[in-house]
Parts: sequence; structure tokens; C-alpha cells
Amino acid sequence: MEELKFVGKSVTRIDGKEKISGAAVFADDIDFGPTLLFAQIVESTKAHALIKKIDTSEAEKIEGVVAVFTGKDFPFKFGLYMKDRFVFAQDRVRFIGEQVAAVVARDAKTAKLAAKFVKVEYEELPEVLDQMKAIEPNATILHPELGDYPHVPWFFPKANTNIAHHRKTRKGNLDKGFADADYVLEDTYFVPRYAHCAIEFHSAIGKVDYSGRLTVWASSQSPNTQRNLFAEALSSLGFTHKDVRVIAPYVGGGFGGKAGVTMEILAAALATKLKGSPVKILWSREQEFYNTYQRLGVIAKLKIGVKNDGTITALDHQLYWDAGAYVEYGANVVNSVGLSATGPYRVPNLSIDSYCIYTNLPPGGAYRGFGYSEFLFGLESHMNRIAKHLGIDPVELRKKNAITIDDTLAYGAHMNPNGLQECIDKVAKEIEWGKKEISKNPNTVLGKGFSLLWKAPAMPPNASSSAFLKFNEDASLNILISGMDIGQGLLTVMAQVAAEVLSIPPHKIRVETPDTDRNPYEWQTVGSHVTWGCGNAVKKAAIDARDQIFELVERALGLPANMLFLEDEKVKCKTKPEWELPLKSFVINGIMKEDGTFKGGPINGRGTFMPEFTSTNADPETSQGGHPNVHYTVGAAAMLLEIDKETGKMKVLKVVEALDVGKAINPDLVKGQIVGGIVQGLATVLYEDMRFDNRGKMLNPNFTDYKLPTCLDIPDEIVSIIVEVAQPDGPYGARGVGEHTMLPAAPMIANAIDDALGIRMKSMPITAEKVAMAILNQKEK
Amino acid sequence: MEKITFKLNNETRSIEVDPGEVLLDVLRDKLGMKSPKCGCDRGDCGACSVLLDGKGVRSCLILAIEVNGHEIITVEGLSTLGLSPVQEAFNNNNSFQCGFCAPGFIISATELLNENPNPSKEEVKEALAGNLCRCTGYVPIIEAVCSCSHKD
Amino acid sequence: MPITHDFKYQKPETISKVLKLLAANGDKARILAGGTDLVVKIKEGLESPDLVIDIKGIEKLGKIVKKENAVHIGANVTFTDLINSKLIRTKLPLIWEAAKTVASVGTRNRATIVGNICSAVPSLDSGPALLNYNTLVCLTNLKGERLVPIYQWFTGPKKTLRDPDEFVEKIIVPIPQEKNAVYYGKLGRYSGEDLAQAGIGIIGFADKTFRIAFCAVGPIPKKSIKLEELLNGQEINDELIEKAKAIIEEEISPITDIRSTREYRTHMMKVMFERGIKQVIAELKK
Repeated sequence: MEELKFVGKSVTRIDGKEKISGAAVFADDIDFGPTLLFAQIVESTKAHALIKKIDTSEAEKIEGVVAVFTGKDFPFKFGLYMKDRFVFAQDRVRFIGEQVAAVVARDAKTAKLAAKFVKVEYEELPEVLDQMKAIEPNATILHPELGDYPHVPWFFPKANTNIAHHRKTRKGNLDKGFADADYVLEDTYFVPRYAHCAIEFHSAIGKVDYSGRLTVWASSQSPNTQRNLFAEALSSLGFTHKDVRVIAPYVGGGFGGKAGVTMEILAAALATKLKGSPVKILWSREQEFYNTYQRLGVIAKLKIGVKNDGTITALDHQLYWDAGAYVEYGANVVNSVGLSATGPYRVPNLSIDSYCIYTNLPPGGAYRGFGYSEFLFGLESHMNRIAKHLGIDPVELRKKNAITIDDTLAYGAHMNPNGLQECIDKVAKEIEWGKKEISKNPNTVLGKGFSLLWKAPAMPPNASSSAFLKFNEDASLNILISGMDIGQGLLTVMAQVAAEVLSIPPHKIRVETPDTDRNPYEWQTVGSHVTWGCGNAVKKAAIDARDQIFELVERALGLPANMLFLEDEKVKCKTKPEWELPLKSFVINGIMKEDGTFKGGPINGRGTFMPEFTSTNADPETSQGGHPNVHYTVGAAAMLLEIDKETGKMKVLKVVEALDVGKAINPDLVKGQIVGGIVQGLATVLYEDMRFDNRGKMLNPNFTDYKLPTCLDIPDEIVSIIVEVAQPDGPYGARGVGEHTMLPAAPMIANAIDDALGIRMKSMPITAEKVAMAILNQKEK
Repeated sequence: MEKITFKLNNETRSIEVDPGEVLLDVLRDKLGMKSPKCGCDRGDCGACSVLLDGKGVRSCLILAIEVNGHEIITVEGLSTLGLSPVQEAFNNNNSFQCGFCAPGFIISATELLNENPNPSKEEVKEALAGNLCRCTGYVPIIEAVCSCSHKD
Repeated sequence: MPITHDFKYQKPETISKVLKLLAANGDKARILAGGTDLVVKIKEGLESPDLVIDIKGIEKLGKIVKKENAVHIGANVTFTDLINSKLIRTKLPLIWEAAKTVASVGTRNRATIVGNICSAVPSLDSGPALLNYNTLVCLTNLKGERLVPIYQWFTGPKKTLRDPDEFVEKIIVPIPQEKNAVYYGKLGRYSGEDLAQAGIGIIGFADKTFRIAFCAVGPIPKKSIKLEELLNGQEINDELIEKAKAIIEEEISPITDIRSTREYRTHMMKVMFERGIKQVIAELKK
């Protein structure tokens, strides 16, 4: 195997200089000139109510106000996997913060001021703020028309209920599995909602020009999906895809919150009424909290049966998701967990029920981990409790049951190649698993926690990627993709893939942020799949370009194509070692022959990748038969936690995480995902604490009271371990890693606390206060 | 409207502002300085940080009119002369991911190193504690600033 | 993001001009120093002044000056100024310790200690220190000057006894003459910046007397005379600490809100008290 020159190296980011010099342009940085209009959204103050009347007359009179719009101006539905959402609320509102009207003005101050003058009259309806109450027999139905909503064929809504989707997975014989068990543990785990808190707000600017063409500039993970949803929603106005353009500049963090479509559709819709002028909508930090996607909350009832030697015989996992007022995206979180809530284990007999339940709370949607953090909290806690009961080491229990390539997944397909055992062993070694650590501080105790992790991208079976690649006169390259760099470093990694094929150094490669007019299609930058999917497309495009180069050299100069290779930005020949031809001499201008004619011309490559083996054809009652997930990325993690017995304050002294990434195209960027993901994961379990009042209003939509960790709140030591068991269909063997790194944080904390104190916490967040009070309660007993 | 005059990135500028105009908005919308960002609008995140007479401040909590007669430096000012050592260190260490919080960190790090060219790791963390980052987990940011310690 | 409320702005060069403006506008005017409190409130619609008076143009208000046995801290003195002041660090160390816990560098570079006591939030970090140092608040208006002891200053959550035409020019903090050690304990939700959910300031003197004050556990910051009476002159042992903890329960009235519960705040106050008093005693022995 040839040594790789660029892939596998920790090159510096190709967008680094732009970002540290102030040159990087984000959506709100773009100047639109004096015709720019500003929209301020009027939002619902009720969690569930009919809209009786909206009086916009006062607002319209204010100088500088151009127009005021309400739901009647845009009776369009939209949604990614299910069409259950309106641009503006129509006859009713379903969560506090839902958009009801928009004031458009010549400046932002006037828009903000005038919005206060829009008067809305509501007739309150009973609020449903709890997913278990939502499925009680006489619960208020939040979507009476659920039965009519168009949706992907692999969703199963229950009309006339609040269950928007129910994913059922059944394998083997559950009753027999439990009967065969020597020990059965059953319990319930509670995980609340969380907010993405990307530092950049959602921002979108829409403009319909005088020729009738719509352009939307948006901070987005999904320019093509957004274009698709805009075209669908606005089709009754005559728009098709060619009439809609989405431009996505640099994104200041996404974490799933800027995938799909949320507030961006407001910019698109309003623009259709404001021909000729761009209209900007900039979300505030408060709106970021309550009127964009949130991470769904879940109540998970888990029952696992094991033999005395630790072998899992049966698993019954029932997950009740608080999915919010609209579930067009969140329902897929529920779906993907319904297929994977066994965790990375061999489970012969299982039943998984994942219920997507409407509530009068903000819409749930894609959030880093897509449901896996939520179910792994309970599952990995449960495994430790089982180990403790059986007297088996928790790591040994995991090794015993860890899924292998010979095992089938919950839905019957085979597990992909994976280095799970290697991850477990390396983590156990690094954390010195088995060695009991004693604190030198009399106020504190130490505990160790272990957790496995896994995740597959949750995508439709035809989620595809494509790439164009063009040379410039100096043999630099432009790669055109629609995969987004949301911080993970995609642009750099794509450059490295192309660099490897074409021998051009990564810093001579530009990968631009997309424009749907210019850049070829990418489904969405979600699911941690673009290194794999888009990487395959880029590699194909680079190989296409390379093939053209060799074919041209053969045609023009007579050298055999199969003897040619690229090195140091030159074409070379194995059978003619003294010969070389710099790429820059011909990649635009062609090769001149002796007769003075030129052959060739600009070298442009193209590549498309779509997984052609995935399908959602499965038995709706059992989920058997389909192949919905392309592959799983697996890993393991462990931590050493210090707990102050009086204050409950916890300090992560050391955390180790190993991930099987197939091939780390850029090890430094993989490490960046591990460090960043661990800190984000720890934030959800230790600090972030979303509170609602009993009417459905979020009480802490700001950073003062929804605490994001600062640099003073990070672990003392984070060790990243990269394991590489190649993904056969990945570029250079690579698999995705982005979401995975935050998955094990919560169960590690819970397991470490149990190790240190013998206290089992079954609900999140696990704050210092909760730990302190639990210790006090334990003392009293 | 009142005319204010101040130094912006070493150049004297004059503009007209209303008392209620916030410095962050004026820098971004009227003066074209896009590097300070709005991340929370209430001083909790540090993304709007600029140097005011050499001190890092939250420009979202300052009225533009207050800077009359003073001196403001944004990341654009640091970058005009070529990247500063701390900017180079951030770049070489792949310190940032999405990059949105980067200008705020650069301002805080610049303030620190100007006042204390030899900070300890603890001093670096204290200086950066007012800047929130959601992507990186801070480790490569702290490393980069620490690597500038002992340098001129 | 824009401010929707319109107001006028003045930046007087002298204190007497400030007083004239306050006399003319009363409660419709607000003093602007650091702005880290006022600007947020104007943005969120919690304050709608007609006039904002920027006092940063008056040089003498930015000074920390030792006069006789007291330190005069002007209205423009920021928390960063206090942290950088050798005088504060050596002579009024409890103020120094508390200042270091306020928010973060960017806020401390603007926020003022006088602004802190004028905002009078129950959780203000400067509260316990200023109470323990028997601070005087110096108020002026066109009629003259008055000095108000800090224990009378706070009249309720976010309320002070400042009249609308009065200006807080400075605070005067007497310097304790005896050798002492200090402790400021602040309960936050993590190590990063946070508003105090419970705060305790302790000064222990070589003559075995103590000064103890709280913040964030009642409507106003408060000195605990009862605790001081229990501990003054005594050898601090475990039994005494237990008695002190019982008194703490009576002395404080924390609430349950989204930040913390009454039970945890009370528990943590006892823990911080015990750790603080032991630390102070250990330091006095050095």
C-alpha cells in the first residue's frame, strides 16, 4: 500500500486564515445596500390557542413600516419528512414563540418597535406539556389533521392521536429471551430538552428580484434541502427549483440546528411579497432558544435480561419522545433511535418502540447525536447497573456483548467492520481501568465511568453527494461542493482527498461555500456523513480529472496512460523516469503538439456518490428487511471524576475517548471533534438546564441562566485515541465522526458518580446541586 | 444625531449617531467592521469584543456615542499589518472550527498579551473565560495563546 | 440589535453639572458609567430614561485614593481597576477577592463597584465586602452631601435609598487597622462566570473578632450580627461551627428560583462558612 502524502496528515485548515483575520463572511456580515428591509417576527404568547384576530392596523401606520404579514398571506405547508408545519401559524398556535406575524420595515429599529403594536387575540386551548399526558386516552389532540399530512413512506403516524410516528422494531422472541434470563433489570430514565447554542444566530435574507427569481442567503447546513423545501412550499406561486437559489456563507456553528428549514422559510416567503428588495431576518438569542429546533426530550423505559455470565438475552426499550409542536424533522430522530436503541451490542431478542409525540413546546429537530445521546444515557447506565448486580466488571460486560461484524443489527442487516474491541481496550488502558483512585483531598471522592457509543447517519436512502473540480492556470484547484463546513473542517478534508489523488498540496486547493446555482447537489450536512459521502464524490471527481489528464497525455504525447502517475504537481511516467510535465503547463491551455495544434483544454472533474444499497423497505411491524443505515461509527470512552462530597461539584480530571473513524483524513480535526464534542456532551449533563413554566414558556432563554461551559469548566485532561478499521466504501477508508464524540458524556458521569458514591442518577441534567442533595439524602437514610 | 470622532484601527473617523445606537451595530453597519459579532446581545458571550483604549470590552453594551474621543481596535485593525503572533498561533494550531467566536478570542488574547507578555496557563484561562465557544472545547485556543507566552 | 427606546445623552465635565441635570430630570435620568447593567436594561425595556448622563468624562471619579485611614473609591472605578490596585489588594482584600469573581474580564473592564451597589441586586458580589468594611456611601445633590452607612443603603431587591436627584460620587471604605484574613465564598453553577446564588464574606481579625456578611440569600445583602456575636473572642472548634450553622439557617432567607433551591443555597452557605472560617483562621496563624 502506497504511503499517503496528504490524507492522514494534520494539515492546517484551509479556511483558517479567513477566520482569524476577520475575512470570513457570515450571513449577517453580507451588505445588501440601501434597499435592505428588516423583518421582526411577532410570536405567540400562548402554548396552545386558536387565533381569533390579528390587528395589524396600528403597526402599519408607523413611519418606516413597509408591510405587515400574517398567516393568511402564506397558507403554505412545509416539512422535511412530514408536512406538518406552516410558514406562519394559520388558525392556531401550538407553542409559545411560534411565528404569528411579521413586520417589515426600512430599518431594524422600526421593525422591532412596530412589532409591539401588532395585537393578537387568542382563545386558549388546553395545553399539553408532557409527552405521557399527551398519549392518555382523553388528551387534547394537537394536530387534528395528522391523518392527512404527507410524509415519507417509512413513517407511521397515528391519526386522531398525538403520536406523529411510531417506529417498531422486533427481532427474535422477546418473551423467550426474558424467560432465559437469569437477571432482568427494568427502569426508566429521563432526559430533558436541550438547545444547540451555536454562537451565530440563525440568519436569513430573502430577495425576489424584479425578474421573479428568489435568492435566499442563509446560515445553513443544508442549502439544497432548503431550496427544495422553499420550492415545494412556494410552488403554488409558480416557483420551481430553477427559480430558487440558496447561498450559504460560512456557518457559525450548526450542531443540527441549522439543518432542515426553520426560520429561513420566513425570509423566502416574505421576499415573495416584497419584490425587488432583500429582506433580512436575524434571530435574537432568545429566539434561538425557543423558536428554532430543540433537542427532543425523552422518557425511556428500558428492560434488559442477561444470563449470569453477562450475556444479553433480551432487550425491551420503549422511548416516549417529547417532540414538540411540529415534528417534520424531529420524527426522524425518533425513527433512527427506534432502529438503533440496542446500542453497540449483540441482542438476539428485542423490542423497540419509539414514539414521536406532539406537545405544546418548541419543535424538536436535529441535534448533534440525533437521539443517540438521549438513549445511550439510559442504556449505558443500565449496563453498569447490571454489571454491578452480577459482580462482573462493567468493561468486561461490554466486551462480552459488543457487536461484531458477524452480528445482525436490530433491523436484521449486518454490522459493518468496526474496531469496537480495540476502542474498548485502548480506553481501558489509558484510564487505568481497574485501578481504584483515592483522592488526596479529604473533601472529595474519585470515581471512574465507562461508556460505549455508536451512531449511524439517519438519512433517506437516496441521500447523495456530488462534486465538481476545476483547475486554474497555476494548477491550483477549485472544488465545488454543497457540503457545509460548520466548523468540523469539511473543506480542508475535501481538499486533502483531492490533494492525494492529484498531488496538489491542500493549501493550493480552494473549496468554496456553496451557491445552489454553481455548486452541485449535497443532500444536507448532517449525520456526520459528509466526510464519507461528499468525500467519495470529491475523490471520484479528482479521479475523473486525473483520468482526463492521463488520457490527454497519452493522446497528445503518446505515453501509455497506465504508466502515468502524478507527483509534486507533475505528470510522470514509470517507463520514462526522466520525463515530467508540470500540470500548470496544460490544465487550462492544453498540450501543444509539434504541428502547433493544441490538444485538451480545461480539465474539469465531476463525481457523484449515492449509497445504492440502502433502503427503507421493511416490515412496518418489525422493521426487518430494510437497510436504512449506511454504517455505524463506534467508540468507547471513560473518565475519572472528582466529586466534592459537600458541594456536589464535579471536576472531570481525565476523559479518554476512542473512535473508530476508519481513516482519519486529518487527525487534528478528528481530535477537534473529540475535544469539542466531549465538552458539549459534558455541558448537557453538568450545566445546561432548560426550564419551562407550567404554561409552556421557557424561563431561561439566555446565557446568563442556560450555562454554556467556559474555558474554566473543561476537563483537566482529554485524551483522544483514533482507531482505524477501514470503512470499505469510504474515501481512503474513512467513516464519519462529528456527532459521536458527545454521546458518552452523560452516562460516563452517571457511572462515575455511582462508582464514587453508590448513588445512581437517572435523570438529566446531573448538576452539582442534585448530587449534593442526593448525598445529603443518602446520609439521612 | 450627534457627530462623534474617534480612532478606529489607527485611523481617525467621524460619524453621526443617535444616543441609542449601540457600538456593535455602528461598527458593523455604518463602519463596515464585521469582525465583532453579536452572539447574545447582553454581554454574556464575548463575541462582540473590541479593544477600547486597549481594554477588551463588550461592544454590545456600549453606546456608540460613548467612544467619542477614544480609540477602538477590531480584528481588522490587527490584520491590516499582517497577522499578529497570536493570530498566527491560532491558525497554526487549528484553534478554531466555525470561526464565529474567533474575533472575540483574538481581542481577549491580544489584550492579555499586551498587558502580560508572559502569562501562565491559569492567567490565560482567566483572560479568556469571558469568551464562549461551542465548537472547540477551548483546548486548542488555550494552547495557542500559551504558546505566545515568553514571546515579544 | 437595536435599542427601540429614544433618549438624550449628555456627558458633563463636572460633578456640579451632573447634579444640575439630576435636579432637573430626577427619576427620568439615569447615570451611565460602565453601562453593563444600564444598557442591558434599556435594551430589554426594563429602563426607559429620557436622559442618560455619562459620567466618564469626570476624571476625579475614576480614582482610588487613600485619605487618612480610608479608601475613597470614585463612581467610575471599575472592577478591573480594583483588581489592579495594590492599595485595594493589600488594605481591603475582601473587596479584591470579591472583585475577581465578578463576571469576566470584558465586563470587569467596564462595570463599576458604585454601579454594582446602585443596581442593588440581592446577589451583588461587592455587598458582603462593603458591609464588612463599614462602608459609607457618599451622596451629593445641589443641596449638599450626605454620607449613608452601607447597612442603610439597600432598602429592597434592586432598591436603594438614593433620592432621584442624588448622585453617588464615591464610596468611602475605612481600612481595618488590625491584622486580618479574608474569605469570599460564592456559589455559582460552575467555575465560569455566574451570578451568586449564595455569597458569604468573612473577615477574621488577629484579636479573634469576625465580620460576616451575606449576599444572594435574602432581599438585600446583610451582615450577621448574631454570627459575629457567637464567634467573637472564641476558639473556633467543630462544636461552635455547628452552632454557627444553626444560626445561619435562621439568619438567611434564600428563595427557590431557576438558578437554585432554598435547600441547596442554605446547605452551601453552611459549607462555605465552615470552609471560609477555617481558611481565615489558618491564614491568621501564618
